[in-house]
Amino acid sequence: MKTQVRRRVFTDPISISILTLTTLAIVVLVIVTLKSKAHEAAAVEAMHVARIEAEEATGTLDSAKIHACIDRTHRRQVEAVFDVLRDAVIVIDAHGEVLHVNEIASNLLLVSTTEAAGKPLDEVISDHQLVSTISDARTGLPKEGRQYEQEITHNDTTVAYEVHLQSVGQKDDAMHAVVTVLRDLSREREIARLKSDFVSKASHELRTPLSSISAYIEMLVDGDAKDEGTRQEFYEVISTETQRLQRMIDNLLNISRIEAGLMHIDRSQVNFRELVERSVTNMKPQASEKSLEIHTQIADVDLSVVGDSDMLYQVIVNLLSNAIKYTPDGGRITISADTDNLTRSLHFSVSDTGLGIAPDQTEKVFDKFYRVENYRHVAKGTGLGLNLCRHIVDTLHGGQIGLESTLGMGSKFWFSIPSGQMQRKAA
Amino acid sequence: MSTAHTILIVDDEAHILQVLSLKLRNCGYSIETAVDGEDALHHVKTNPPDLVITDVQMPYMNGLEFAEALSKDSSTAHIPVVVLTARGHTLEPSDTDIPNIRKVLSKPFSPRGIAELCENLLKDTPRQSAQSRGAA
Repeated sequence: MKTQVRRRVFTDPISISILTLTTLAIVVLVIVTLKSKAHEAAAVEAMHVARIEAEEATGTLDSAKIHACIDRTHRRQVEAVFDVLRDAVIVIDAHGEVLHVNEIASNLLLVSTTEAAGKPLDEVISDHQLVSTISDARTGLPKEGRQYEQEITHNDTTVAYEVHLQSVGQKDDAMHAVVTVLRDLSREREIARLKSDFVSKASHELRTPLSSISAYIEMLVDGDAKDEGTRQEFYEVISTETQRLQRMIDNLLNISRIEAGLMHIDRSQVNFRELVERSVTNMKPQASEKSLEIHTQIADVDLSVVGDSDMLYQVIVNLLSNAIKYTPDGGRITISADTDNLTRSLHFSVSDTGLGIAPDQTEKVFDKFYRVENYRHVAKGTGLGLNLCRHIVDTLHGGQIGLESTLGMGSKFWFSIPSGQMQRKAA
Repeated sequence: MSTAHTILIVDDEAHILQVLSLKLRNCGYSIETAVDGEDALHHVKTNPPDLVITDVQMPYMNGLEFAEALSKDSSTAHIPVVVLTARGHTLEPSDTDIPNIRKVLSKPFSPRGIAELCENLLKDTPRQSAQSRGAA
């Protein structure tokens, strides 16, 4: 009875039209969900085929054809969904023949999706271990599937994959299939390597001041500092190294919070001129100790910007402090600040007559823990100051930071930050 | 003429040089210092030490390259080397598999412990540096 009703419904031309429209709507929905153009193209093709088949069905009014058409359309929808995935997907039937490989798997196996369909698994996959594992999975898998890691060589490059096997349907069921998903672990491995490298570098840099603190304390305990003058010197070393350690930890935490998007910044109208003047006043004693001249070239224009006053101050002090540290006695430091009306930005720079930096190192100086080789003897640093400056300027203020330098001729560190918000307000 | 053994300390951290120099001088050793591997090689040629204590990560020539250079020169291969590094956990055993390296120590370190180690390494060692200087 039900069959008759369904037959009646499907043989009705209006219902056929509704069915056609519904099928098209589903395929269109798939298209909307597809992100890449390649996948979109595949789904458009699926829609086109579905339309032709639906039109054929309308002409013949044959319910079996209509059912077959619906099955094919559903299958293509599923395949289109597989093709959207960023992981390689291989589906085989109960007989070990390939039902579908998605685009990523097709690239990995160097076989087209259409070529693979219907072929025995071992004709499509050359990796014997993978063929064996997938074939074995047909005889039964735990409910939760099976997961393991395997390396696969592709185009002379060996890549680690997480292989996930899952059964669809019952073992004796005609619908039984095994779905294999291969997830490329390269990016995860690279992130893990970078993390490990970072921890290793951080550990080394933190151990250096800690070594001094620990050694000097032991010397005091053991009475190796024989006179009051030596003891005072030791206390000062312990104090300065403790401050260095503190700065490193603070910088590390700040960089980490900015990178994680957790840094809260207090945006307000900042009087940049006042920040520069305050920095120079505070750093002058250090410059005087080395008989360094500090010249300021601050343009007589409105230098207000919208930003975080404390953080921008930190960047100015850091750049100025570096210039003082790495400029030989009697040198000259020039600070300039101006606006660029064309780019609606504020431009700041610190130039020095210091050691300069070799061209192959200028890009690296903003990296975490990077220390310019020939600077190590000159002054101590955390290796984090410029990285923090870059984060404050780039990430938090949408600006740019850079360096122009010639070895032996001095360096010019500069940054620019947009002042557009402030100008719009004024307008 | 001094009868003390000479120890060459190599590190680019001034505080480490200062603290180790003072500790080992207080123990009666004669101390030479260098700030990188190249500088240290120059010291070894002009004033051969009885023992070398070296950091690993230094500019121009690192501590392991320096130790290897000593081991390959028949006139310096006998000088025992102690490696003092903040990167101990990242060094593979093969990295420090150089015949003259007697001990690899991690920073932070104990100056007292270093002094005891120097005493152990030098207790049966005649002042070869003095001999080679005398021979020269």
